[in-house]
Amino acid sequence: MLSVKGLRANVGDKEILKGLDLEVGPGEVHAIMGPNGSGKSTLSHVLSGRDGYSVTAGSATFEGRDLLELEPEERAQLGLFLAFQYPVELPGVNNTYFLKAALNSIRKARGESELDAVSFLRLIKEKLKILHLDDSLLKRAVNAGFSGGEKKRNEIFQMALLEPKLAILDETDSGLDIDALRVVAEGVNALRSPERSMIVVTHYQRLLDYIQPDYVHVLARGRIIRSGGKELALELEQKGYGWIDAELAA
Amino acid sequence: MNAPLHSGLEHWLSAPDDSPAPDWLLERRRAARARLSARPLPHSKDEAWRYTSLKGLLEQQFTAIDEPLSALQPEDLDTILIPGFDAYRVVLVNGRFAPELSVLGELPAGARVGGLRDWLGHDPESLRGQLDATRGDSETFFALFNTAGLDDGLVVWLARGVMLDRPLELIHLSVGLDEPRVAQPRHLVHLEAGAQATLVERYVSLGESLYCTNAVMEVVLERDAVLKHERLQMESRNAFHLTGFYLVQDENSRYAGVNIGLGARWARTDLNTRFRGEHAECLLQGLYLAGDGQLLDYHLDVEHAVPNCRSEENFKGLLTGQGRAVFDGRVLVSKDAQKSDAAMSNRNLMLSEQAEIDTKPQLEIYADDVKCSHGTTVGQIEPEMLFYLRSRGIDAAQARRMLCLGFAGEIIDRLGDEAMREHVAEAVGQRLA
Ligand SMILES: Nc1ncnc2c1ncn2[C@@H]1O[C@H](COP(=O)(O)OP(=O)(O)O)[C@@H](O)[C@H]1O
Ligand SMILES: [Mg+2]
Repeated sequence: MLSVKGLRANVGDKEILKGLDLEVGPGEVHAIMGPNGSGKSTLSHVLSGRDGYSVTAGSATFEGRDLLELEPEERAQLGLFLAFQYPVELPGVNNTYFLKAALNSIRKARGESELDAVSFLRLIKEKLKILHLDDSLLKRAVNAGFSGGEKKRNEIFQMALLEPKLAILDETDSGLDIDALRVVAEGVNALRSPERSMIVVTHYQRLLDYIQPDYVHVLARGRIIRSGGKELALELEQKGYGWIDAELAA
Repeated sequence: MNAPLHSGLEHWLSAPDDSPAPDWLLERRRAARARLSARPLPHSKDEAWRYTSLKGLLEQQFTAIDEPLSALQPEDLDTILIPGFDAYRVVLVNGRFAPELSVLGELPAGARVGGLRDWLGHDPESLRGQLDATRGDSETFFALFNTAGLDDGLVVWLARGVMLDRPLELIHLSVGLDEPRVAQPRHLVHLEAGAQATLVERYVSLGESLYCTNAVMEVVLERDAVLKHERLQMESRNAFHLTGFYLVQDENSRYAGVNIGLGARWARTDLNTRFRGEHAECLLQGLYLAGDGQLLDYHLDVEHAVPNCRSEENFKGLLTGQGRAVFDGRVLVSKDAQKSDAAMSNRNLMLSEQAEIDTKPQLEIYADDVKCSHGTTVGQIEPEMLFYLRSRGIDAAQARRMLCLGFAGEIIDRLGDEAMREHVAEAVGQRLA
């Protein structure tokens, strides 16, 4: 599904990703863990097409297509979704209008017709319920004045609505209390399916108690330095990230 | 013998005089004309005309409209009317009241609405005190022209405590003629104590013809009166548009105005407001969108002459292509106007490198116990906002349009009617397509 090979990316003159490899198959859930500043968000951004990064080497293909050639909206239309670490506030942009525009763009790209108003509303309400979000959200501007927890739940709500093939969740757990974390995790788990893959980026092991990954990778200094099963997450939890420096120095 | 007029404007007053004007009005017109010819043309050295040249306007050699256009049928308004917007309606065609297109029906008792020319024919005395009642010494060059050419317009007079149950829509429709013409409508609005109304003023055209509108509106709000006023300047993209708006407010009156400016190639809007009684409130909101070949120029003059009044001036601008706009906002708080509260803001979103905005908010404060603020921003679309939308599958052009409409929404939402809000949002969206 996703194949990243030898990916190197810069911000300005500074190299952030330094030869990164990652293979994600259909239905798999991969956790990427790593210390702050290791390049987790950079990877998420490069894969989803944000401006400001230059890829200097390597490749990223998604279902056989060269991702790096595509505009961000084309990637989303192919089924890629990024849940932002810091969801952006869009003052004045009505949520319902936004959701309809997003859903219709993606449906159109899939060759499906636009949803009529009634089915759209029914669908939205169903998804809101999964994330324990209130209907009043629909009348508000996108993320504007939302609490931290609301913003994160809103990301997963959008994911539930858009039904991507590959979702990248960038520290969706950070800043959530335990109840909110549970709601978010339930939302994510409800979306797990044999066709849908996920990359769960996190700093802490905590989230992985709720979302069981198939694989765990450790990202440090722009590379994946270790991969394993979920026991690797527990090991990290016990040892912290301190050993990485020692290992890299060796 | 009339004194000569400025070159380029000499035919603005050339209409044959068949209007039923009383002597006092003829005298006022003559006096305005005399003052005009004694005044130099506005020039870029005048502070109020620093960014806006009259050259294009003068070159057109506009001539006054000499007879009413009578060929229009009600169906001709089909493309102009806003579906779902329910209002009393007065239509002016090329500056002349068109009763056959207007729909007033049963106005509440004590509400009088009609054409200025008709009014002067049957009740001229009632307007004697109203005309020029608002203007003090802030009379502009083009307002003087309007007085010198005074002919027709809208008159609204609400007696004490009268409330208009529906909005009153004034459609100022321009239809292109063989040569470039200028219309100079004069609108007079008087709300007696406690009266309330919503007035929606729309400047529109059939076709994209070249013409000029030089409108003046005078509004008097007696104590406790409430006026909601929406102005939609959606003239032809080849037109020239001038507005002089003059408001005086007595004690405890409230005025809320929303100015939408999308049309015309060259538009100059002067909004002059003055508090005459305490505890009054004046809200001026605005949204302008200037694109290729357009200059939209706004001048606000808000005078806190008495204590305890509140004003808010909030204008937002979208500039695309080679569009230009000017915002020159002045709030004057005189020495005795203690406890004045004034907040002025002008925010602009630049959508191209070639667009230009000149913004100049000014507070002139002579009282010491006041709450006044002003702020200006000139910015671009935030890249992270754009990326957020695109990451959800929305293409870049639509994403940009959504963000611009989000920016404009704060002002559009102030419009009182859902159909009107949709109408304006759609017009803004089309301009951004
Ligand atoms: N726009 C940027 N400009 C400069 N440095 C950046 C920028 N974005 C990220 N970085 C740097 O890249 C490194 C990785 O950042 P990031 O991918 O956000 O890490 P993580 O998400 O793992 O915490 C950090 O050292 C950070 O300072
Ligand atoms: Mg990060």
